[in-house]
Amino acid sequence: MADHNSFHFLGKKTIRKDGLAKVLGAEKYASDLSIPGMLYARVLKSPFPRARVKSIDVSKSEGMGAVVITFIEMPRIRFCPRLVSTPEATYKDWRVLSGNPLYVGEPIAAVASESEEDAQRALEAIEVDFEVLEPYMNALDSLKGGEGLLHENVVFNEKEIQVENNIACRLEITEGDVQKGFSESDVVIEREFRTNRRYHNQLENKSVLVSPEVDGGVSLWSTSQTIHNTRLLLHEIFGIPVSKIRVHKAALGGSFGSSIQTNTIVPIAVALALKARRPIKLSYTREEDMRDHSSYQMIFRMKLGAKKDGKLQAGELNMIMDIGAHQVQAYPLLGCVVGWWVSLYKLPNLRYVGKAVYTNKVPSCALRGYGNPQTTWATESMMDELAEALGMDPLDLRLKNYIGKGDLFWGQGPTVKSIINSCGVEEILRRGAELIGWENRPKPFAQRGRFRRGIGLGRGYHTSSAGSPIPGTVIDYTGAILKVNEDGTLDYITAMMDQGGGTLDAHAKIISEEIGVPVDNVNVVVADTQTTVYDVNTHASRGVYAGGGVALMVARQVKAKILEFAGRALEAYPHALKIRPDEELGQAVIYAEGLTSKQITLGELASMARVKNWGTIAAVESLRPGSCPPHFTGYFIEVEVDTETGKVKPLKVVAGADIGTVINPDLAAGQIHGGFAMGWSMAILEDTPYSESGDLLNQGMMTDYKTPTTLDLPKLDDFKVFFVETYEPSGPFGAKGIGEGALNPVAGAVANAIYNALGIRFYVLPMTPNMILKALKDRERIK
Amino acid sequence: MKVELTINRRKGIFEVEPNELLINLLREKIRLTGTKYGCGIGMCGACTVLLDGEPVLACLTLAVDADGGEVETIEGVAREGKLDDLQEAFLEEGAVQCGYCTPGFIMTAKALLNENPSPSEDEIRGYLKGNYCRCTGYVNIIKAVQRAAEKRKRIGKQEI
Amino acid sequence: MNINKVDTHIIPFEFEYHSPESLEETVKLLEKYGSEASILAGGTDLLVNMKKRITEPKHLVNIKKIAELNGIVETPEGVRIGATTKLRSIEKSEMVRERLPVLYEAVRLMGSIQVRNMATIGGNLCNASPAADSAIALLALDAKTDIIGQSGLRSIFLSEFFLGPGKTVLRRGEFLTGLSISSLPEGSGSSFLKVGRTSMDIATINIATFLRLRKGVVENCRIALGAVAPIPLRIFRAEDYLKGKAISKDAVEEAAQIVSEDIKPITDLRATAEYRRDVSKALTRDALTISWERAKGRR
Ligand code: FES
Ligand code: FES
Repeated sequence: MADHNSFHFLGKKTIRKDGLAKVLGAEKYASDLSIPGMLYARVLKSPFPRARVKSIDVSKSEGMGAVVITFIEMPRIRFCPRLVSTPEATYKDWRVLSGNPLYVGEPIAAVASESEEDAQRALEAIEVDFEVLEPYMNALDSLKGGEGLLHENVVFNEKEIQVENNIACRLEITEGDVQKGFSESDVVIEREFRTNRRYHNQLENKSVLVSPEVDGGVSLWSTSQTIHNTRLLLHEIFGIPVSKIRVHKAALGGSFGSSIQTNTIVPIAVALALKARRPIKLSYTREEDMRDHSSYQMIFRMKLGAKKDGKLQAGELNMIMDIGAHQVQAYPLLGCVVGWWVSLYKLPNLRYVGKAVYTNKVPSCALRGYGNPQTTWATESMMDELAEALGMDPLDLRLKNYIGKGDLFWGQGPTVKSIINSCGVEEILRRGAELIGWENRPKPFAQRGRFRRGIGLGRGYHTSSAGSPIPGTVIDYTGAILKVNEDGTLDYITAMMDQGGGTLDAHAKIISEEIGVPVDNVNVVVADTQTTVYDVNTHASRGVYAGGGVALMVARQVKAKILEFAGRALEAYPHALKIRPDEELGQAVIYAEGLTSKQITLGELASMARVKNWGTIAAVESLRPGSCPPHFTGYFIEVEVDTETGKVKPLKVVAGADIGTVINPDLAAGQIHGGFAMGWSMAILEDTPYSESGDLLNQGMMTDYKTPTTLDLPKLDDFKVFFVETYEPSGPFGAKGIGEGALNPVAGAVANAIYNALGIRFYVLPMTPNMILKALKDRERIK
Repeated sequence: MKVELTINRRKGIFEVEPNELLINLLREKIRLTGTKYGCGIGMCGACTVLLDGEPVLACLTLAVDADGGEVETIEGVAREGKLDDLQEAFLEEGAVQCGYCTPGFIMTAKALLNENPSPSEDEIRGYLKGNYCRCTGYVNIIKAVQRAAEKRKRIGKQEI
Repeated sequence: MNINKVDTHIIPFEFEYHSPESLEETVKLLEKYGSEASILAGGTDLLVNMKKRITEPKHLVNIKKIAELNGIVETPEGVRIGATTKLRSIEKSEMVRERLPVLYEAVRLMGSIQVRNMATIGGNLCNASPAADSAIALLALDAKTDIIGQSGLRSIFLSEFFLGPGKTVLRRGEFLTGLSISSLPEGSGSSFLKVGRTSMDIATINIATFLRLRKGVVENCRIALGAVAPIPLRIFRAEDYLKGKAISKDAVEEAAQIVSEDIKPITDLRATAEYRRDVSKALTRDALTISWERAKGRR
């Protein structure tokens, strides 16, 4: 079906299936679960950013009746908590508990008791003697290596390799002749950018409930974006047979990438459960969660060269990223950063050097966009600067150079290249410009007075999945099971998680659309690792595209079987039968057009199949996407800067997106609303600075991790979202992703808007009132 | 210590320690887990419940201090199997994403509409500023509150 | 902060709970337990500090059962507000809005609706945060604090109440029972302004001003700023400068200059000292200008 105007369900507003439980307060998140007889666990964390445990005495806590584990008795194995890359792209430097903690908050030991209070008291009774070591609180210092190595060696591709200069991993890419490209350019600019180190601040803190089983296995529920990889990791660490580890899905209270990897607390809780032989509940508090994961902080040195007419000739990018104390996915990220960078605009000659550096900070992991928001902020700032240097309209410069339909792009890095088959960039930019009034935007230096306005543009994209025509180093496939019940409903069973975006609702709609059953009749089953086929992860904005893709595959097969059975039942040719969702009957009806006697409901058919022993109508499939088509976004943001306080207000937002066929309009718009809020916050508010002692300055308290409130964002009428019409041939019914593209361009657009208002360019995030006021003062002084 | 609390219209006597927080009494003791912990220090509103009709934070309320009070949690909002207008509106406007903030928002919004049946957008934003949501950017949540207010007006419903 | 002692799910230590119903009983309890006791009012600061283990009282004295501590009443001079009056009640009070508009403006911006439903005015003041919005407004109103202790009642100006962050003049066994505030007089205007990182934040810097004009001349004036010194601060030099002067843009500008010189800000997570100094000038100018405008209208 290519005519996307005739969809029955897609593009129509529906109520999300898990919504009812959520508005009733009945939805169960990992932190809400309990099992009779469970113990409450607490984790002993390193108070020092770098130390060695000389001795640890747990006798007092054990005397209080607590079950205690320390790093000493943990399996000797080093692992990587994220199992998305192939072994030749996976570095392992984590332990369940550590005797050589490398960040404030790193788990050293854990206790479990009958109540959380008892557990906390037992925790306080543990005595530890530390040798405190000099930490590296800055990637550039770390590179110099004056205080020795944080990891002497790490495990790579199952072998120990030496670490040099605290560089966790590096990647260099050259294409074409950069020197030549720059010498042929009329304008060359080079700038340095530094991003913030943000915290996910997902509302649900990391949590796990583990129950030891009589067969030596475990059952567990945790905050996770991947139940199958959790199972495989626990097998790797504890040697429990895979089939005896049962990981259940539990609703996620937001994640934004912070549970792509199996969370730190999960193996700890498993170790406790194995020792205690009792169920263990371990829920982090906010202050613990904030010391558990953060985004990647990046320092970019970027150089771009262009001809007078605006055609880009060459680009060079040096990137150093501070990954904190351990690698979650630093190596694949090095590839992605270059991918994000070179897939926005055509660069005939390019050179990239990326280095990931260990520091004694909270370990970094993906945070919605996986380095793309950072890279795009720098790139989009550069494009505006370049436009100014060339005397061009920034919009035209982008239109001249963007990568679109028919072009090769390598969004998820050099091993994940494919050709773009759908692209709405031009329409996004043109319509957005019109809606915001781009033509009439202020001139950067023209304004006087206290309050100054500016309009900025940022564009971006993200891949939908990490698929590609060849295997590469990223594992990306997903599976689904679909079966028809005797009442005509369908059970859809997938391991894929919904982070809140409504991914699984989109799947249900795709199935409904393909078969012709009412959406209400598709049940999304809350499943586990034993009852599902493998899915790698809900990440890389792949939920709708890849997950929806396999949902469509099983739907097609089930549809074929339905028609085959109906042919038998109605004594008609299967290929001549049709299926319609009958609202009145609340059922799918299979019928031969024009022949009223020849029709049967799906429920009747399934029941007949049972009594006649035809069997169950069902299908199971796996899908590896052959590409990862970009979904494109563009933001036009108008701000007002108070030059007396340095405060920036968002006045107006216009956001356009090309996500292929829109499956769930209000949920897709919801992704953009949330993406904007997160991007705005990234641009002007969020950071996790560290104190002298190497701990978070805010000590994990939300009081000092600021995000915008309801009052700090634009009014309803001042926030316009539009979708352009495209059709992605490789996607289910033409659909692509949206989750990350919704965020990626925002910080760049804000930076450009502030520049438009003040004529001052900022190269550091977040752009705080302090920074803005100081810059204004400095400018006055120079004048 | 013994405290008497009416929770979702049911009176009960509870044995609590002085240091026991209302949030834990609800979540751990009587397994009403709709009230969420988000920050523990009053910054996120996920633990919002109504105490004698007013929105308060269960993470900063001692159970003993609530003695004699009437507590309403998200589990008490739907009556006789029928959703409240706010719950319906949250579904209809797509105001629910991960849903972890939803109970807190609904409780605060319920107090708002009881106090002010036709709030302006600014008033809604002002009233809800202590409820944090990472997913939605608040847009559909504000719309949902507006929609619920309109629904009530249409059917002439007053305070419930 | 010892990170292994903090668990904000719970209050991880035990204490004894008291809920006296009279002032005398309260004084006795406080006298008896001294520094081992903490007064529980709204709890929004105390419980957070207990969770952070900044304070670990062995006795908690809940004063919310004492009826006479709660409420807003009219007095010949103006208004009396009981110590356990909720911020939300102050915000909703017509009397406050009319007679003490600057207090209304400040309280309205404090915390969330939930916090304002819980937090009390007395608790807010006794917490002695240098940034407390309510304190700044009350300083501009020259409020008086009523204190009770074993030796009876005493009353002092709020401007003498604070000694440092978290420190007040309250002695062992003493506690705050309420505030006495005079209504804004004829010909006067006041205003409150605040800069925070978001709309739900402790002030990065805040200010309240009060001006009384007679025929265009400043007859009386008060200027108070928060988050610029160890205590909520009156800037007497700027007040004295304005008193007796004909109000003018230049006079306002000069007062703002004095304010920016006399404050003693520090650099913290919220802002640098330099930022606070710069912004104090703009805020003072704005606040005085608004007060001036309002004074013209209030006859
Ligand atoms: S958990 Fe109570 S306000 Fe965040
Ligand atoms: S819907 Fe996820 S935090 Fe609000």
